[in-house]
Amino acid sequence: MSERKIESVDDGRWKAVLRCMMLSRAIEERLVRLYHQGRIFGGVYTGIGQEAIGAATSLAAGPSDLFAPCIRNMTVHLGRGETSLNVFRQYLGRASGPTRGRDGNVHYGCTANGVYAMISHLGAMLSVVTGAVMARRRQGRDAVGVAYIGDGATSTGDFHEAVNFAAVFDVPVIFLIENNKFAYSTPNAEQFRCKQLVDRAQGYGIEGLCADGNDAVELFLLAQDLMSDIRQKPRPILLECDTMRMRGHGEHDDFSYVPRELLEKYAARDPIAQARSRLAEAGLVAKAAADDIELQVRSEVDQAYQQALEEPVPDPADLMEGVYADR
Amino acid sequence: MPTVEMTYLEAIRQGLRRLLQERNEVLLYGEDVGAFGGAFKVTLGLQEEFGKDRVFNTPISESAMIGAAIGMATQGLRPVVELQFVDFGMTAVHQLLNNAGPTHYRTGLSVPLTIRAPCGGGFGGGPFHSEELESLFCLMPGLKVVYPAFPSDARGLIYSAVMDPNPVIYLENKYLYRHVKEVMSDRFDPIPLGLARICRPGRDAVVLTYGAMVHEALRAAERLSAEKHYEIMVVDMRTLKPYDAETVIAAVTATNRVLIVHEGWRTCGFGAELAALVAERAFHLLDAPIRRVAAPDVPVPFAPSLEKAYRPDADKIGEALVELIEY
Ligand SMILES: Cc1ncc(C[n+]2csc(CCOP(=O)(O)OP(=O)(O)O)c2C)c(N)n1
Repeated sequence: MSERKIESVDDGRWKAVLRCMMLSRAIEERLVRLYHQGRIFGGVYTGIGQEAIGAATSLAAGPSDLFAPCIRNMTVHLGRGETSLNVFRQYLGRASGPTRGRDGNVHYGCTANGVYAMISHLGAMLSVVTGAVMARRRQGRDAVGVAYIGDGATSTGDFHEAVNFAAVFDVPVIFLIENNKFAYSTPNAEQFRCKQLVDRAQGYGIEGLCADGNDAVELFLLAQDLMSDIRQKPRPILLECDTMRMRGHGEHDDFSYVPRELLEKYAARDPIAQARSRLAEAGLVAKAAADDIELQVRSEVDQAYQQALEEPVPDPADLMEGVYADR
Repeated sequence: MPTVEMTYLEAIRQGLRRLLQERNEVLLYGEDVGAFGGAFKVTLGLQEEFGKDRVFNTPISESAMIGAAIGMATQGLRPVVELQFVDFGMTAVHQLLNNAGPTHYRTGLSVPLTIRAPCGGGFGGGPFHSEELESLFCLMPGLKVVYPAFPSDARGLIYSAVMDPNPVIYLENKYLYRHVKEVMSDRFDPIPLGLARICRPGRDAVVLTYGAMVHEALRAAERLSAEKHYEIMVVDMRTLKPYDAETVIAAVTATNRVLIVHEGWRTCGFGAELAALVAERAFHLLDAPIRRVAAPDVPVPFAPSLEKAYRPDADKIGEALVELIEY
């Protein structure tokens, strides 16, 4: 928990956090609908109900910081400045999109925003962002990194290798575990034996913390503190965020294996609803202002989808282009 | 110009040294490569000369080593990663096949990293320290694969590999490290990737080969010249991806008989690619069926009697050449 109070951050920033979560929700709800209408090519995997984690951490960061988002992190992309138009271009496989139709759905990033495009292989990006932060710091920039990983992916060898690697070289990266209780259909109990994943921090000789992953306000304050701390005293941190996957693994999955009570428990702790009421109570973002943001993002999503839809798909003549870099 | 006699190993070190001197963005890391100088001593003295910041040890984490290199390379550095043996790179195949290789095509980011990997047998290394895996790497889109056979090529090619804007797998043959010496100028020009070299002229047949087998082929060619007055052309491929098809076709045109030799396994080995190339483009020029000399499809055996039976050598190459020419 951060010692600082909600008032230490100006209302503009809080609006940005709220907007980021709302935009993400609006985009992903649209993607879900498009998927079920058969209008999306490929899969749809959302972070619905987990928006606080990416929004709080990406908006708490500085301009030279680096991110390795995972499947549930639409809010990391948006928080770092990705546009909803680019997101729809990506999902629709448009030539104008961030991967120009060479890759789909969650596999995109943006160099200017410091966001790496994940590969599917869970855990593989943790060492990438670690190396990238090492490089930036070597160049005299005070970058820190945030690498997001699911509870299931903590069982990969890559998780172990990357966290240990960062520990040995004192690389300032927050390894943020989003414990949403399930890895596809596999519950925590069949994934690991430690009481909490954060317990592993001790084994790596690094600090570990737990946080409420659905509380954007507290998480934002915590992320600001952690980032400024590791920026000055470089070292990795393991941060386990408690949250819940509110839908299937992807939209193809009916998630009938998830106990309904668990979903209800977390539905009552929806990150957007919680942030709205907390910020309204604190007098920072009034209900009317939040309603306005909600309206804005919904119309932004309509427009972005429409525009992306009208843009051209990749030309098959470009199939071979760009396998190798020439500079 | 002053000349020096150098082993293959010393030539690689000279290339690395020059890169570290000239390019501040080059760094070199891997297991035991620091003060110890690496398992084969290729990097001996480099940490002392360039400091722990440029040349350093890492934990035994092949995936994190390569992942971190991807992160560094995308931030403007040119990391050179030493795998202790190519065999151990297999614990990190996804970082090459799925991450380093496709990154430019997917995202437009250049990944100028180099993986140095000692390969090959002939010294009782057994199944896990003798492998030849070049054809695996050649399968992976976006990678380049280099395999020098001579000291002069080794230093000129390492320079170009590191300066290339793409991920390059630079294969080093362990048998050649200390067995091959060359008198050469003490200064050198980089050798461009993608060019084969005719290292012995000939008219009766051509051997297409690379790595340690270049020397075995040359030995066989000398013997056949003395004993039977057959003149065998030997082509050293030097770069396996992208490979020099034009030199291959020109060699076939000049000799009309083709023997393909490599130290590693036969089925789906790189020789299969060369055979297919010749069949596709020069079938009408052939006076005899294409032949291959390669390792049989068994794990690399340990006992000297078995390894001798396993590994291609000048005797086996010579026999195949006689059959090819007398077909
Ligand atoms: C190395 C690897 N193995 C398997 C998969 C297939 N896969 C994709 S997501 C997933 C579950 C991931 O669970 P978790 O890490 O908890 O993240 P969550 O989906 O819950 O956010 C699996 C098994 C993969 N992408 N990578």
